[in-house]
Amino acid sequence: MTMMRNTIRAALVLATLTAAAPPPQQVVAARHAGFKKMGAAMKALGDQLKSDAPAKPAMVAAAQTIATTARQQAALFPAGTGPGAGVKTEALPAIWTNRAAFDAQMKALIAESGKLVAVTNGGDVTAIRAQMKATGATCAACHRQFRAED
Amino acid sequence: MTTGTTRAAPLWDVPVRLFHGLLVALIAFSWWSGENHEMEWHRTSGYAILALVVFRLFWGVAGGRTARFARFVRGPRAVIAYVRGGAGAPPGHNPLGGWSVVAMLATVAAMVTAGLFAVDVDGLESGPLADYVTFDQGRMAAEWHGAIFNVLLALIALHVAAVLVYLVRGRNLIGAMIHGRRVVAEGEAVEPLGASWWRALLGVAIAGAAAWAVSRGFRF
Repeated sequence: MTMMRNTIRAALVLATLTAAAPPPQQVVAARHAGFKKMGAAMKALGDQLKSDAPAKPAMVAAAQTIATTARQQAALFPAGTGPGAGVKTEALPAIWTNRAAFDAQMKALIAESGKLVAVTNGGDVTAIRAQMKATGATCAACHRQFRAED
Repeated sequence: MTTGTTRAAPLWDVPVRLFHGLLVALIAFSWWSGENHEMEWHRTSGYAILALVVFRLFWGVAGGRTARFARFVRGPRAVIAYVRGGAGAPPGHNPLGGWSVVAMLATVAAMVTAGLFAVDVDGLESGPLADYVTFDQGRMAAEWHGAIFNVLLALIALHVAAVLVYLVRGRNLIGAMIHGRRVVAEGEAVEPLGASWWRALLGVAIAGAAAWAVSRGFRF
C-alpha cells in the first residue's frame, strides 16, 4: 500500500518535472524567493541570539524554515535555468557544468540545517550559535563557488 | 625679527590632524575588509569611524580655532567671493573647502548609519542595530551603504584633486595637515589655536562611549 502510494507520488513528481516543466523565469523566481526566505529566517535566528533572552520558539521556527526551504531549493536548479536562459539570475554556469560539486554543497546545507533544527530544539544558546555558524559556512562556501558577486 | 626670515604659526591642532590621518586609514581598511568579507573587522572599523565622526562633531564646537564649524562654515556669499578670488580668508579651511569638509563628514556619517542597520543577502552578517529592522529594510540599508560609498569616493577624489591643484599653483596644503604649522606673513599677528587637552579627552570619552553603546545595539 505504502509502496504504491510512493510510486504514485514519484510518478506525479516526475510528471511535473518533465512534462509540465515550468518556464525558467518561474523557477528562478521560486528559488530566489526561497533563498530570500532563508536569509530572513537566518536574520531572525541571529536577532534572537543577539538579544539578552533568546526566545526558543522563534529560534526553532526560524531553523525549521531554513531546513525545510533548503530541501526544496535543491530541486529548483533544473537545466536551462542558468544565465544562458535569458533570465536574470546570479546563479553561475558552474552549477550545471560542475553539477556533482553543486549537489554536494546542497547536501551539506541540508545536513547542517537539519542539525540546526535539532540543536535549536535543544535550546543551548552556545550550541545554537555554533551550529548557525556551521550552517552559514555551507551557504558561504557554495556562494563563493556558484553565485555571482553582486 | 629681520626681513626675509619666515615664522611658523600653528594652523591645525593635534586632534584635527589625528582625526584626519585615522579617518583616511580606517576608510581604506573598511574598504578592504568589506571587499574581503572580513565582517568582524569591518564592523570594528565602522565603530572606530563612528567614534571619529562623533569626536569631530564635538571638536567642531569645542576644538581649536581652525577646527570650529562657526569659523569655517560660511554662507554662499563668502564662498562666491572666495571663488572669485576677492576676499582673503582667515587661516584654516577656506569658505569653499569648509563645505567640502561638511560634505565628507555628512557622507561618512550617513554611510556609518546605513551600515549599522545593514544585513547581508544571506542574513548571516549584520550591523549592530539590524535587529531593530526587518530583513528587507536591512537589505535596503546595505544597498544604501554601498551607494553612499560611491558618493564618498567621488568626494574624496574631488578633495584630493583640489589639494593637488593648490600644490601645482604653489600652495602645499599637505604638509600643514601633517606638521600642523603654516608660514606667517611678515608683521602678521598670530593668534593661538586655543585647543585644550582636557576638552580633547572629554571628546574622546564621549565618542568612545557613543560608539561602544551603538556597537552593543544599546543592550547593556
